Amino acid sequence: MALAYSLPSNLAPSTVQNTASFLRIIALAFISGAAIASRLFAVINFESVIHEFDPWFNYRATKVLASQGFYEFWNWFDPTAWYPLGRVVGGTIYPGLMATSGVIYNILHALNLPVDIRNVCVLLAPGFSALTAWATYMFTKELKDESAGLLAAAFIGIVPGYISRSVAGSYDNEAIAIFLLMFTFYSWIKALKTGSAFFGTIAALFYFYMVAAWGGYAFITNMIPLHALVLILMGRFSSRLYVAYSSWYAIGTLASMQVPFVGFQPVRTSEHMAALGVFGLLQIVSFAYLVKAHVSSKQFQTLLFVSVVTIGILGTLGIVGLTYKGYIAPWTGRFYSLWDTGYAKKYIPIIASVSEHQPTAWPSFFMDLQFLVFLFPVGVVLCFRELRDEHVFVIIYALVGTYFAGVMVRLMLTLTPCVCVAAAVALSTLLDTYIDPRMPDTTDTPAPDTDRVSVAGATTSEGTPKKTKKDKTPAAEVTQKASINDFATGFEVLGSILEKDKPPRVAGLDSRIVVVGVALYLLVFFVQHCTWVTSYAYSSPSVVLASRNQDGSQHIIDDFREAYYWLRQNTREDAVVMSWWDYGYQISGMADRPTLVDNNTWNNTHIATVGKAMSSTEEVAYPILRKHDVEYVLIIFGGLMGYSGDDINKFLWMVRIAQGVWPDEIQEPNYFTPAGEYRVDAQASQTMKDCLMYKMSYYRFSNLFGGSTPVDRVRNQHLPTTGPTLDYLEEAFTSENWLVRIYQVKKEDSLGRDLKSANAFVEGKKRKRAKPPVRRKAIVASS
Amino acid sequence: MVLHRYWLHLSTIVLGLASPSWASFENTRVTRSVDLGGSLVYTTTTYNVKALEDGSNVYLFALTEKEQETTSWMEAKVKGHTAPLSLENHGLSHDATYYYSVALPKALDKDQTASLVLETVQAHAAYPFPPEAAQDDRQALKYDTDLFVLSPYKSLTQTIRFNTVGFPILGYTQPKEVAFTTGTIAAKSNSGGAIVFGPFSDLPPSSNTDFIEKHQQKISIFYEFGFPMLAIRSLRRAVEISHWGANLNIQDEIDLYNAGPKLKGQFSRLEHQTQVYQHRQAPHVLTELALQLPAGIHSAYYYDTIGNVSTSHLRIAPSASQGGLPGRSSLLELRPRYPLLGGWNYSFTLGWDSHLGDHAGWDAEKGRHVVGVPIMTLFGGAVVEDAEVKFVLPEASTDVEVFPPFSPSSFSSAMHTTYLDTTGRPLVVFKYKNLTDKHTGIIYIAYKVPLSAHLKKPTAVGIAFFSVFFVAFLWKRVDLNLEK
Repeated sequence: MALAYSLPSNLAPSTVQNTASFLRIIALAFISGAAIASRLFAVINFESVIHEFDPWFNYRATKVLASQGFYEFWNWFDPTAWYPLGRVVGGTIYPGLMATSGVIYNILHALNLPVDIRNVCVLLAPGFSALTAWATYMFTKELKDESAGLLAAAFIGIVPGYISRSVAGSYDNEAIAIFLLMFTFYSWIKALKTGSAFFGTIAALFYFYMVAAWGGYAFITNMIPLHALVLILMGRFSSRLYVAYSSWYAIGTLASMQVPFVGFQPVRTSEHMAALGVFGLLQIVSFAYLVKAHVSSKQFQTLLFVSVVTIGILGTLGIVGLTYKGYIAPWTGRFYSLWDTGYAKKYIPIIASVSEHQPTAWPSFFMDLQFLVFLFPVGVVLCFRELRDEHVFVIIYALVGTYFAGVMVRLMLTLTPCVCVAAAVALSTLLDTYIDPRMPDTTDTPAPDTDRVSVAGATTSEGTPKKTKKDKTPAAEVTQKASINDFATGFEVLGSILEKDKPPRVAGLDSRIVVVGVALYLLVFFVQHCTWVTSYAYSSPSVVLASRNQDGSQHIIDDFREAYYWLRQNTREDAVVMSWWDYGYQISGMADRPTLVDNNTWNNTHIATVGKAMSSTEEVAYPILRKHDVEYVLIIFGGLMGYSGDDINKFLWMVRIAQGVWPDEIQEPNYFTPAGEYRVDAQASQTMKDCLMYKMSYYRFSNLFGGSTPVDRVRNQHLPTTGPTLDYLEEAFTSENWLVRIYQVKKEDSLGRDLKSANAFVEGKKRKRAKPPVRRKAIVASS
Repeated sequence: MVLHRYWLHLSTIVLGLASPSWASFENTRVTRSVDLGGSLVYTTTTYNVKALEDGSNVYLFALTEKEQETTSWMEAKVKGHTAPLSLENHGLSHDATYYYSVALPKALDKDQTASLVLETVQAHAAYPFPPEAAQDDRQALKYDTDLFVLSPYKSLTQTIRFNTVGFPILGYTQPKEVAFTTGTIAAKSNSGGAIVFGPFSDLPPSSNTDFIEKHQQKISIFYEFGFPMLAIRSLRRAVEISHWGANLNIQDEIDLYNAGPKLKGQFSRLEHQTQVYQHRQAPHVLTELALQLPAGIHSAYYYDTIGNVSTSHLRIAPSASQGGLPGRSSLLELRPRYPLLGGWNYSFTLGWDSHLGDHAGWDAEKGRHVVGVPIMTLFGGAVVEDAEVKFVLPEASTDVEVFPPFSPSSFSSAMHTTYLDTTGRPLVVFKYKNLTDKHTGIIYIAYKVPLSAHLKKPTAVGIAFFSVFFVAFLWKRVDLNLEK
């Protein structure tokens, strides 16, 4: 047969196989290295610090776990959160992340490697991204072959969609969850292919780990049943499916119920009912198959069919009835917001107020996935070509994942692995076709080249599970025959195996070079894009802001930590700090002070109370503050520096959330100008000007401009030259760039006056004193 | 482990402390000069003495109870000589006085004279007055002391002088009904930065309850001080010596606070920024610190509990081995995260690496390494209330001997295991109280490292890697499958 280019022919097949296996290990090692390295931008550009908001809580919890042991952590009641309610931390978190870090920390310390717990936490996400790359390799290998697996691993290693949630320091549940997701899916596919209860159990164990680690486990809880259901509907029910699903569901569900935060949810909430329903359905269907195998009568089979359908319907009705009766909790609001994007804004403003819960903008698909966006559909279509059980899984995953990614920005994360897998399948198919040196040929003689061996090794895993086992025999023959130096026979055998699936062949070298060249160009450009996006968009800790000096050097704006550290060092240890919930975790993590509300937004009323205090006048807010023992109020003000994520810009959410609880006292329209604009300048509505948040933000701000018109640089509005005054609070600390302002709540006046008149009295006295002295001399002189 | 206390190797002195007023000496003139600072007050007392007997060689200094309490450093010298004399503490006598004896280098014959200088540093002797000050107030301190310098000997004349560092004295106690003098008791200098009490003449031996009750008077000086009054609650220095890395790592954990007047009211950033902008910064606000670190250091770091602090500049001077001039030091200018107002705290960690060769030497005679490390980083004008210096020596080093420049308040040793250790590294810990900027000195530590100790780490790492490979090998090669 004609070859497009020549290949060395004097290599033993075992050599080629060993070399290929060695190269794969090397490639995987490099991919892991690249995955870890690309996530270290945050550490190199800034420092080894915990990022954003939620990671600060996880870090704090991990510190408790590492220093006090697992049982203390499990029973940890945190009296400083949600003051005065407190929080049972052990029962309200997914402990998987902390437990993972704790185990790593203890192992390292047992090996005399006393790594700081902070560094364990910071580097956990990059470390697990290497494992994700490996899990994706294993998954894709099941789907196509090793070369597609390597491509998928490389993609997932550096794709921004995944990096965005796993840079060093982004110590959040997602850091380990994507690895668990991919590995659970891999073991599910493996269990399904082999019908092995062992792999089913592995899938269940990793499912348990996932449940312990991330609330997004519900994705697996519904993906696997959906896959099983589709397979049944496609008429692909088999004992393999029965064994795989039953072992996964039974063990996985029982294990997941051991997580206190999950508890009885797997049998009592609607989110988990699909898994239970499919489990029941599988039992019925397999029973039906069993009976069918033993009974031949046509009528009886009809009867059986009808009874099975009836039982199925009855079961479904039972679940619906239980839901209606309230034994099974209905869908939660978060779930509804996935179907109706306007739902959250109407009914649960707390969820809607988080930017990562907004629908995804189109450019962000390209930003996060780049050219994988185009390859993804191709890969999905290629899945239809073979349509084995695992291909069905990828197709379902692609559909579901795409929908969710479109609904919510943060769910881009769950789509990303699927995109990488599908794109790798597509690209690998393309490369297979165009790198294969064989030319189209009419004669059916086997190709006398050694490269076929490695292709052969790859294709053996392509067959259905049963076929894989059969294929092993000729492969073993090959090695034996090779050892007696009879290459030709070996290749004949191999060639005969390969003829079963004739790949499309390409003529000529030029077309190969062009296509492979373009593919390479796309890959190189993808790497470039990923590096750029990672370093510029996803590697900012958000606790530290960076700007450029005039000479181009980096200038760090560290106002958040300045203020938090001031609180930590110079206030009473039990001084309660009130702030909007976004900063709750950071305050407890960095300032180590009790907070009223934090990012674990479990108590809407408490948050609304804070919202009310912020959006009311001082007189109304003061009793609220005193009743909650609030000593300091912390706000973020970006007006001087031009930091747009400040509290005035978030203020409308506070108003909305407060309005949800106190519709009579707080009304959103009052905070707008009559023309319906949201303004902070002289035209702002009186309610706006009187509210605590406005006053605290702009207190003494105008003095900074020394008489000229003050400008708010975020909202680009000119403020009145005389700023607001405060009677019930006093400024306690303001950070260098005025980004963080902390106010102390005054104690009640010792003479029993209200603070406003007490202040007026003090100021009145001052004004008198400031009067020019009576010119007695003149009088003396005249007399 | 041997702790050398060579400073206690004194000639055997037997003193009858029951009658310290042995009239073997007479003070012809006692002048005390007190330099008023912030956390630290420096006193220099010159005793011109005349022997009344032949062979007088032990002179006694007397300190009041309050002086004893605050004095954290003292040194006696013969005027004009550089070598300090050994001081021996004799504790509290029944006269409510603390005695320190000093052995003169040469015994004096009758009517021979000598001039002795006693320098002391008092920590936390001055205190802010009023104890609270607003952000734009001046910083005023008060220093309480006694009018007469105590001595077990007769004194012919005595004066006491107070100097500030260029700031006015705002007020002082006018002593009343003072004996031993006829002229003006207190005279303020023209510039207002100094005040002299005395001279007083023909004082009897004063270090006895009789004199103290009858004549001693309390006086206070009230003065302005134009620098932040710094104090360090604790300073923990950890020194790690690594032979494999040829590296000496020093890390200081510092708990700093502003001991000046507490902030009255609240901190106003606007006020602070205006002050900085107009170059009239409040004297008691600490915004920046300059520290001298050893020459030739690298990889310096400055962080606190919640991460790195980016506001610092380090100018590294090359060490002698890198071709730099000897005696140079690197300069670190650091800013705390926030300006430190009166009463505010700021704790942070400072560390650096340096080439071990810059600090270590080889004692060929005894075949051992000697490493010298300064006892602390100098914070000008600050008192270190509680200091700890911890040395981590190379793994399995033996025959450890330490030579501190002055005796620690406590000393202990332990084992420490860290990266790649199998048996652990010897650890020695020195603890000190109230260190001042006079407590400069180098702790020398000598130890031996046998060759087997050097080889411990590569052996451990080698075994670890080999076992990983071996397990991987077994995993790949041993097939436990029943089906073939």
